[in-house]
Amino acid sequence: MKERNLSLGGILLLLVVLIYAGVLLLAPVAALVSNTFKDGFEPFWKAITDPEALNTLWLSMRLAVLASIFNALLGVMVAWVLVRHNFFGKGLLNALVDLPLVISPVIVGYVMIVLFGRTGWLKDFPIKLAFSWEGMLVLTVFVSLPFVIREIQPVLAGMGKEQEEAAYTLGASPWGTFWRIVFPAIRHALTYGIVLTLARSLGEFGAVAVIGGGTQGSTESATIYIYRSLNDRNYAGAYSMALLLGVIAILILIIMNNLRVHKRGG
Amino acid sequence: MSIYLHQVTKQYEDNTVVDDVSLEIEQGELFVLLGPSGSGKSTILRLIAGLTTLNAGKISLNGRDVTHLPPQKRHTGFVFQNYSLFQHMTVAQNIGFGLEIQKVPPAQRKARIEELLALIEMSEYGNRLPSQLSGGQQQRVAVARALAQNPDVLLLDEPFGALDVKIRGQLRQNLRSIQKRLNVTAILVTHDQEEAFELADRIGIIDKGRLLEIGTPDQLYRKPGNHFTATFLGNANLFNAHRNGTMIYIGENRIPAPPNTEAFAGKSVQMMFRPEEVVIVPQSAQLNGYFFGEGIIESIAFAGALERVAVKLNPSGEIIQALISPDISRELGLRPGDAVKIGVKNFHLLPTE
Repeated sequence: MKERNLSLGGILLLLVVLIYAGVLLLAPVAALVSNTFKDGFEPFWKAITDPEALNTLWLSMRLAVLASIFNALLGVMVAWVLVRHNFFGKGLLNALVDLPLVISPVIVGYVMIVLFGRTGWLKDFPIKLAFSWEGMLVLTVFVSLPFVIREIQPVLAGMGKEQEEAAYTLGASPWGTFWRIVFPAIRHALTYGIVLTLARSLGEFGAVAVIGGGTQGSTESATIYIYRSLNDRNYAGAYSMALLLGVIAILILIIMNNLRVHKRGG
Repeated sequence: MSIYLHQVTKQYEDNTVVDDVSLEIEQGELFVLLGPSGSGKSTILRLIAGLTTLNAGKISLNGRDVTHLPPQKRHTGFVFQNYSLFQHMTVAQNIGFGLEIQKVPPAQRKARIEELLALIEMSEYGNRLPSQLSGGQQQRVAVARALAQNPDVLLLDEPFGALDVKIRGQLRQNLRSIQKRLNVTAILVTHDQEEAFELADRIGIIDKGRLLEIGTPDQLYRKPGNHFTATFLGNANLFNAHRNGTMIYIGENRIPAPPNTEAFAGKSVQMMFRPEEVVIVPQSAQLNGYFFGEGIIESIAFAGALERVAVKLNPSGEIIQALISPDISRELGLRPGDAVKIGVKNFHLLPTE
């Protein structure tokens, strides 16, 4: 009796999961694909080869790649400091790392305008951040900050510092020890962190829309382009770009996954 | 002198972890630092390796002052408790790591790795990853890695701590024979007195950051210099006594003072004897050794090859622990509740606490 109840529960659970995944994950993708190709392949091709659209995509990719490089370097440093060093305020810093996940990006964008805008406190900052792609980069870095850190932190903590100390007694310099001992150990976590950072950066909308202002031809990213196209009833443009972004995201995932498998095998 | 520590002190804020430790270790000696956990023994190893910096004192290795050198320049081989093998490298790469750092030519490196693999009897395992090895195998690789560059001193931090009892004994013998064959000076840290007895040329007893006493295992067991050593190295019966003239007075009883104890003349002392030195008999006539007192057998417990007998001393009620062979116990018909005479074959005097 009990077992039958259990299997009934199991079936129910499976149903819930399938419906959930279906409604939230598959249905939008299906709708997107069908809408994109409603009038055949021609409109899609036209939409994504449109120079204006390509420009916005180029800006989005540039922001995502730069933010990923930046967060990869800084993420390793921050994770290192949080795991290996003890200092006053460490707990606070550790908590702050998650801030970008809990604050709405729109609010952060607005705060940046208040700080760096024409009448802001830091209006004389040497780099123009308000309504510029540099400002968009800063916010992209901010919203994608936690991923690399949170991937690497547990790996560093788990390996302990004895392997590094062993390398020291065997004559390896601190820098050499990092590259030969620590880096190979965190490589997979770092790769995964970078994938998440790329995906998050590519998809960011609110923060970059507010700080950049979404000026066509200069601070309009791919996601802002989609939003504008929808407003302009340019559905082909919006759907096509959305699909393209989705495909790029999936491609990044697949490539990185293959890289990981390859490296583990070798 | 292979290793020389002079008044080495290490403090963390107000906490003195290593307190004024001085030590001299001969070339080829296997020295064991023995103490309870938290006594500072591992910190001493780390100070020698340069993984921790000292607050005061001096450290020399083979006559070279290394006090202020970084770990890279000290020529020590360190075996960590958890072995700390490089997880992404093969066994051979682990062993060859230091040689590669020192830019030893590949052919020479390969030969040295093979030599070491043979030494630890793992020639077939060069291409394995650490995760594919048993704990005992990992430990041997860690030893080989530490030895690869012919270090001035081999430092081992509880190297058997994570292994089960059966493998432990085997690996101890392994380590001991490798160490003697290479004639490398070694310091091993442990809290296990049995391990210390089995391996050590000499033992240093550490408690609360202080090096209390140094001696051969036999010396420290039979003639400890202080209360801590006496009780840390196995069970000890301890009684307050007084040395006067040529006699030791314990309560109403007196026993001739052992030779070479004149330093205690006229002083309060502690009389110490190990359980195996105790004689228990029903009749005084059967007693060999010195008469110590009378008592009642409290309990008799099986303890492997011997029986552990607890006797309650009259009239003080203090408990004397004895180890006697089951044959003798049976012959004398000893049972809990029996009134017995207690004798002591050998004893030792300690300063009072």
